[in-house]
Amino acid sequence: MAANPLPAKAVLLTDKPRGFSHPKWAARADRLQSVTGVLLGLFLIMHLHFESSILLGKEAFYQVAQFLEGGIFSETGHGYPILTQVFSAFMLLIVVVHAVFALRRFPSQIGQWRALRQQMKFLPHEDTHIWFWQMVSGFLLFFLVPVHLFAMMTNPEIGPHLSAERVVHHNAWMLYVLLLPAVTVHAIFGLYRVSVKWGLTTKRFALLKFAKVLIAYLLVLGVASLLTYIIIGRSLSLPVVPFVPGL
Amino acid sequence: MNQARQLTFSIFRYDPQDPNDKPQMVNYYITETPGMTVFIALNKLRETQDPSLQFDFVCRAGICGSCAMVINGKPTLACRTLTANFPSAEISLMPLPGFELIGDLSVNTGKFMRELAERLQLWLHPSDTAMDIHRIEAPMAPEEAAKLYELERCVECGVCVSACATKQMRDTFVGAVGLMKIARFELDSRDSRTSDDFYHVIGNQDGVFGCMTLLGCQDACPKDLPHMQQIAYLRRKMSISVSNL
Repeated sequence: MAANPLPAKAVLLTDKPRGFSHPKWAARADRLQSVTGVLLGLFLIMHLHFESSILLGKEAFYQVAQFLEGGIFSETGHGYPILTQVFSAFMLLIVVVHAVFALRRFPSQIGQWRALRQQMKFLPHEDTHIWFWQMVSGFLLFFLVPVHLFAMMTNPEIGPHLSAERVVHHNAWMLYVLLLPAVTVHAIFGLYRVSVKWGLTTKRFALLKFAKVLIAYLLVLGVASLLTYIIIGRSLSLPVVPFVPGL
Repeated sequence: MNQARQLTFSIFRYDPQDPNDKPQMVNYYITETPGMTVFIALNKLRETQDPSLQFDFVCRAGICGSCAMVINGKPTLACRTLTANFPSAEISLMPLPGFELIGDLSVNTGKFMRELAERLQLWLHPSDTAMDIHRIEAPMAPEEAAKLYELERCVECGVCVSACATKQMRDTFVGAVGLMKIARFELDSRDSRTSDDFYHVIGNQDGVFGCMTLLGCQDACPKDLPHMQQIAYLRRKMSISVSNL
């Protein structure tokens, strides 16, 4: 190899970059974005299924909530809402890490935004459109997810009546109407993209079709659950009494 | 026999050398012939209607990569696009975006590819530097040769660069053609460069970690090269090699 032609000063400046400037962070950032994204995406799928147990009745949802709050470890059979608070704080941390590294992808200058829009108009391409909507939904989630998590940290009571009260009387439905489509589209297309990005699948088009079906299914599930909470919430008289099974 | 169709070509016309010229779309009309490609139609138009029409071609068989352009919103090779594919009989032709415009449909992909090759050092760096033309070359396993040949099929047409929204947003991004060629040398056992060396070239936001997997390259490549798999391979490879840095 030829001798390094750079002057000594330049060598000094570029010698051993520390912290985020180190070139290894390029790979790390990509990995962390994918890993946190997969964690959040898989969590969302479980989350939507757990909360949709209200469709099977108040009793079913009550049991699911108590179980997830660690009810089997308490003598009374009641869970510990602090688990919800701790878990919400942990999810917020994951969201922050994901957001920090996903920010690299946003068009940060007006010129980049124009180039993207012009490209989409000039050369219509499905995956580029999907990414665009993932970016838009990701931007919305910066604001919507922390509101949801903050509510769960400050007011962690979950139950058929308490959750319905939150949805109707604390007006959380307004948040959920926006959050549900944004997070579903972002998460499921995100899981699809991680799979093709790292070469976890070769059946791309089959996976994309599955992702679309999954989004439709989760939206139906989410909307049905939300409507159920609204119906329950409207039937409750204030002050709301927590649901007691067997009554 | 069906009567031959009348095709309408709406073609981008602009000469950047002429200060008085303005970009415009000009309509041309031509009678379709059996097996007509956009390339054949363009040559006919130039011969019979407008000799000033600028576009590039060499091989007319999808090998040289010169005649890439945007045909009805899809970047591809004119010589491999049959006019029969367009039932509306209306075909719009635009130059490839992302390259220096020479005139009309002609863009300077050569300049881009040369700069890319110099930047990424897209040539073999032999492990044995001693020059001895009498020495017999080390044999290569047929499987390895086949793998390299698959990636060598790239004709440098520039379609992947034009189809990539990431590249359009960030000019310094190397694009699929650069990554494909890096992957080709990374797989070559005769090349002395290690994963670390490649990491210093493409292990950044302008390289493999800048790719957002929009897959325009994969969907538009006229040679059906496995861009998706190759970029994923490089991403995994570079992600693993980072632990040695």
